[in-house]
Amino acid sequence: MRQTARIISIYTADISGVCSALFELGGMTVIHDASGCNSTYTTHDEPRWYDLDSMVYISALTETEAILGDDDRLIGDIVNTAGELSPRFIAICGSPVAIMIGTDFKAIAKVVGEKTGIPAFSVSTNGMHSYLSGVSRALEAVVKHFCRRDAVRSKDLSANIIGATPLDFSVNGSVESIKRWLAESGFRIVSCMAMGSDLDHISMAGSAHVNLVVSYSGLAAAKVLQKQFGTPYVAGVPFGIGFADILARALRSAAKSGKSSMPCADRRNVSGGELAVVGESISAGSLARAVEAESGRSVRVLCPLETTGELTAEGDILIPDEDSAARQFTLAGGVIADPLYKPICPDGVPFYSLPHEAFSGRCYRKRIPNLINRKLKLEGAI
Amino acid sequence: MIKIAVYGKGGIGKSTITSNLSAAFASLGKRVIQIGCDPKADSTLNLLAGNRVMPVMNYLREFDHEPDRLDEVTKEGFGHVLCIETGGPTPGLGCAGRGIITTFSLLNDLDLFEKYRPDVVLYDVLGDVVCGGFAAPIREAYASEVLIVTSGEKMALYAANNINTAVHNFADRSYAKVRGIVFNRRNVDHEEEKVREFALNAGLPIVADIPRSDDIIRYEDMGKTVVEGDASLSVSCKFFDLAELLLGDEENDE
Repeated sequence: MRQTARIISIYTADISGVCSALFELGGMTVIHDASGCNSTYTTHDEPRWYDLDSMVYISALTETEAILGDDDRLIGDIVNTAGELSPRFIAICGSPVAIMIGTDFKAIAKVVGEKTGIPAFSVSTNGMHSYLSGVSRALEAVVKHFCRRDAVRSKDLSANIIGATPLDFSVNGSVESIKRWLAESGFRIVSCMAMGSDLDHISMAGSAHVNLVVSYSGLAAAKVLQKQFGTPYVAGVPFGIGFADILARALRSAAKSGKSSMPCADRRNVSGGELAVVGESISAGSLARAVEAESGRSVRVLCPLETTGELTAEGDILIPDEDSAARQFTLAGGVIADPLYKPICPDGVPFYSLPHEAFSGRCYRKRIPNLINRKLKLEGAI
Repeated sequence: MIKIAVYGKGGIGKSTITSNLSAAFASLGKRVIQIGCDPKADSTLNLLAGNRVMPVMNYLREFDHEPDRLDEVTKEGFGHVLCIETGGPTPGLGCAGRGIITTFSLLNDLDLFEKYRPDVVLYDVLGDVVCGGFAAPIREAYASEVLIVTSGEKMALYAANNINTAVHNFADRSYAKVRGIVFNRRNVDHEEEKVREFALNAGLPIVADIPRSDDIIRYEDMGKTVVEGDASLSVSCKFFDLAELLLGDEENDE
């Protein structure tokens, strides 16, 4: 059945992606949705919720307001709250109900911006796309609104990390490890979008020599920076030692030549029967190449999420629903995936558990490994 | 690019006015798209010689997926006007306004404007600005101007006033502005007086005065606009005059 999951979980939705991407940036994120849903976007999908302050709000849309299209109450609430909190920006996004009634978020953001004098923008969400779409649109909006056009290329070698959220990297030290690895590879980090950097860091993103795109959700922002500043981007996550070295060389080469590259997709063509990695295309592609580099095994990516041709290798397969995932699992010589995929993996096919916060939430959070720039151990828990 | 939404009371002649205006623009050498935003999906009939284009909602209902190509939901009519109909839900069910928003979003995804590169886009919208969906054509990036069609009949003027007020309420949202009134005569008593009084009070110009014409009906029976049927008729000239006025606006803006 198309777009159906009977046994496995589903990836968290675009709204959570927006909240996650903007969580640390000092802005106010408002979701036009019924009351009670805030816990979905914040406590369930946000491991930083209890440790860091962030201004995430639900409008508490009522049935009457939905029928009457009472945007004035929403606008008034945002304006009043922003007056008390003085956020750096106001991001407004929609839920399924708000989208069904045709709420014009772009117009509402314009009115809010004019009334408050605070930069305000809408992020197009409808609760029907994956978190990648929400993170992608949110980071793209941040780059468009806040990157200083007068930023000049730094004298020392520098880079941004784009597309890092706990939904892909959890809070297990992976992002810190990526930063450490980048520094050891000779790059000063201008900003990390969006973990551990504030809006002031991000405003200088145009000064970097190269952008490291660590998930599909960073690609759109990287393309904006490429257009505005001519900054090349390199797609990959430094999993394993061999692939981390390859990625570091690709970054230095891109910084020098100005040409973008996709090391995560530069893999052998696999026709089937080999190891399969399930996940977001840049992470999964990077892990596939890291396993190839360290074990010599051929690996293909099974991608259940949005991606593009430039991020996939020949032989990679899209698995947009449970049936297609199950079909591909029967053909694989082993599957590396979130534990919630295990029930549809045939008994005879080895299953290697690799929890993914955007798929299983906090269920296996403590078992999410940090695989950055360290030797992989495929046998047992990877 | 000229982007105009045509509003007015149901049955007042919006589709007739819009189709003739499309035909006039096309006869003046312009690339035109007409998008019917009405569940009845009859806006473009007289540009297509009575043939129908597959409405977007019908496509979704029939195939249970979105069209992959523009030609699955578009058809060229008189003067190569690209005709599109949103269509609507099963009568009595669903949400027609949502159908308009979905159609617009789909046309964006299919890069309609980038691929067809129109000079003129006309949105023929069902009746009044009744909800968010029916306001979609006047949102930023869609129509930039509104034409309100009215006769001197009381209910037509009442609807025209509602539409004008609704558009004014969106003044702070960068929505379309009302360009003027298209006076579509029904020959009721003191009609001109009533329409002129409304226009004066609303501060709107009457940009076209279309006489009641048997020629319009005669050519519609043949599946044509009167502009296509006989461009030399005085009623056809009214549409050419309106098209040239709107083209002149664009030149002045530039």
